[in-house]
Amino acid sequence: MIPIMAWRNIWRSKTRSLVVIGAISVGIWAALSLTGFATGMMKSYVNNAVQNIVSHIQVHQPEFLDEYEVKYNIPDALAVEQAIRAEPGIKAVSVRSVAGGMVSSSQGARGVRIKGVIPEEEARVNALDENVVEGEYLSDKGRNPILVSGDLAQKLNVKVRSKVVLNFQDRGGSITAAAFRIVGIFDTGNNPFDLSHVFVRRSDLNNLLIPATDSSLTADALTHEIAIMVEDIRNVDTIANKLGAEFPGLKVQTYREISPDLELYEGQIKNVSLIYLTVILLALVFGIINTMLMAVLERIKELGMLMAIGMNKLRVFSMIVLESILLGLVAIPVGLFLGYITIDYVGKNGIDMSIYAQSLENYGMSPIIYFELDPGVYLQVAVGVFLTAVLASIYPALKAIRLKPVEALRTI
Amino acid sequence: MKVITTKGVVKIYNPDKIPVKALDGVDLEIKEGEFTAIVGPSGSGKTTLLNVIGGLDRPDEGDVEVGGHDIDAMSDNKLIDFRKEHIGFVFQAYNLIPVLTARENVEFVMLLQNRPKKERRERAEELLRAVGLEDKMDKRPSELSGGQQQRVAVARALAPKPDFILADEPTANLDSKSTANLLDIMARLNEEEKITFIFSTHDQRVIDRARRVVTLVDGKVATDEVRG
Ligand SMILES: Nc1ncnc2c1ncn2[C@@H]1O[C@H](COP(=O)(O)OP(=O)(O)OP(=O)(O)O)[C@@H](O)[C@H]1O
Ligand SMILES: [Mg+2]
Repeated sequence: MIPIMAWRNIWRSKTRSLVVIGAISVGIWAALSLTGFATGMMKSYVNNAVQNIVSHIQVHQPEFLDEYEVKYNIPDALAVEQAIRAEPGIKAVSVRSVAGGMVSSSQGARGVRIKGVIPEEEARVNALDENVVEGEYLSDKGRNPILVSGDLAQKLNVKVRSKVVLNFQDRGGSITAAAFRIVGIFDTGNNPFDLSHVFVRRSDLNNLLIPATDSSLTADALTHEIAIMVEDIRNVDTIANKLGAEFPGLKVQTYREISPDLELYEGQIKNVSLIYLTVILLALVFGIINTMLMAVLERIKELGMLMAIGMNKLRVFSMIVLESILLGLVAIPVGLFLGYITIDYVGKNGIDMSIYAQSLENYGMSPIIYFELDPGVYLQVAVGVFLTAVLASIYPALKAIRLKPVEALRTI
Repeated sequence: MKVITTKGVVKIYNPDKIPVKALDGVDLEIKEGEFTAIVGPSGSGKTTLLNVIGGLDRPDEGDVEVGGHDIDAMSDNKLIDFRKEHIGFVFQAYNLIPVLTARENVEFVMLLQNRPKKERRERAEELLRAVGLEDKMDKRPSELSGGQQQRVAVARALAPKPDFILADEPTANLDSKSTANLLDIMARLNEEEKITFIFSTHDQRVIDRARRVVTLVDGKVATDEVRG
């Protein structure tokens, strides 16, 4: 009967209860939507970074990663490549040679990492061809073609068909310079990456990297980096572990290890949702305290009577707490539902953030954000609101049990 | 058998500011089966006496024994339980739980006593019939007249089978017809069921029905008259 009483009590002040239920629902909706938005941004950033830049797994000679020195190429690269391609669950593989150097035009020079790629393979791994916004993608045609980003082109004041000069050390340690012609401008959406990378054909780069006096290595065997895309991102760790075991002399890394910022970002989302939730719950605490306090204060006589006829303090306390919980229990499903439909809708249709696209792109995100939410967050929010309702009712409930029946009954 | 004994009960309000001696040495014995009115001018201490007897308030001096228990020695929470088991209350107003029906109101104290549902229900219906409200059992207090509400309150007070019922001006808000009706019911319960009633009143018609009249003046028992 006490639950029934509590339930009927909350409907004695319909408007007041509906207002607080509405506030809780909107709070839940906001917490879910904000978290959905943040998760969507994070996923967009991670996906962009993975697809355009880091790929799922990369394989290097371990020392290469320290200084990016060209002499630390992957030994037996052809055999390794064969073995990786034979691995199940792998979608695409791109073998690259990489050199650190300088790109210069008549207007300026910048330090860049020069990636020598096989055009068709690279296109399959990171969709570089789709990111070409002007001119053409690398092909077999022409001498020394190069792709630079729009950002870099602007800094160097060059455009498609302009000539640039690349300077770098070859494997013998001598500085080499060669002229390349810009065939296309790319844009991955990640400015820092775009500014610091240029793409050339692997065969062109390798010919320059291997000195004429060095006969230990053929041009098609010089590989510094093998980039891999797997079929299903959830299998990244399994496949990476397997490759690591297969090639103990090589360093096999997943995108999280290559770009610790991605892992950090992924991990940060959990904190972000907790912060949103905490802020919103803090606001709700005061709303609920206020409502329950009013509910207690306007019932002083009745509470005095209840205690006079034998309702003990524990029961009075529980009744007040229960009333608060019931307000929460009505609001929670409403809020969860509102949040769910919002996340579902924006998850499918996306929300266009083009107005902010420039700043978003600076951080490597796409202008359309699709909300996404870990299902666990719904539970987290529901439990959080429930506990808030309990917590917020404690003060009003204490106020109720501190009443003395005689005094309460005499109150006008 | 004695159900209530008070010895030299003193109750002082506002002891720090302007002290008011609401009760000034009250010695009183109430026996089982009495139908007793506490009367006296306004401010004479009737409500205070009923509160002290009912364990709602504590005396500053003197002893109060209820059903052989020294209620002064009980903690607040113990006292709540004691009231629940031993004392029925009918107040002047705000007797009933507004969100519960008449039947639920009567069941409520039995629920606090953890009585089984079936017993609660049967007793509630029986008591509501006894106060003539068999057709109002599922009405909420707001749908009942003042007299009907007080009858529900009497039924509610009887539900836990208390040692006695304390009623502080139960008819103060009632018209004369409802007053007579409530008194009829109380008198019948007293005669047939041997229920002990102690009630305060200003109303001469109510005083006329009492079988013992205790008059308070300035917190003291002025007269104590038992009628045949
Ligand atoms: N809480 C209180 N604080 C201070 N004085 C009080 C308090 N309660 C009662 N009194 C005083 O104690 C005296 C007795 O009051 P009480 O209410 O018992 O009288 P009463 O006989 O019931 O009066 P009435 O017929 O008006 O109901 C009065 O002088 C009253 O003003
Ligand atoms: Mg009084």
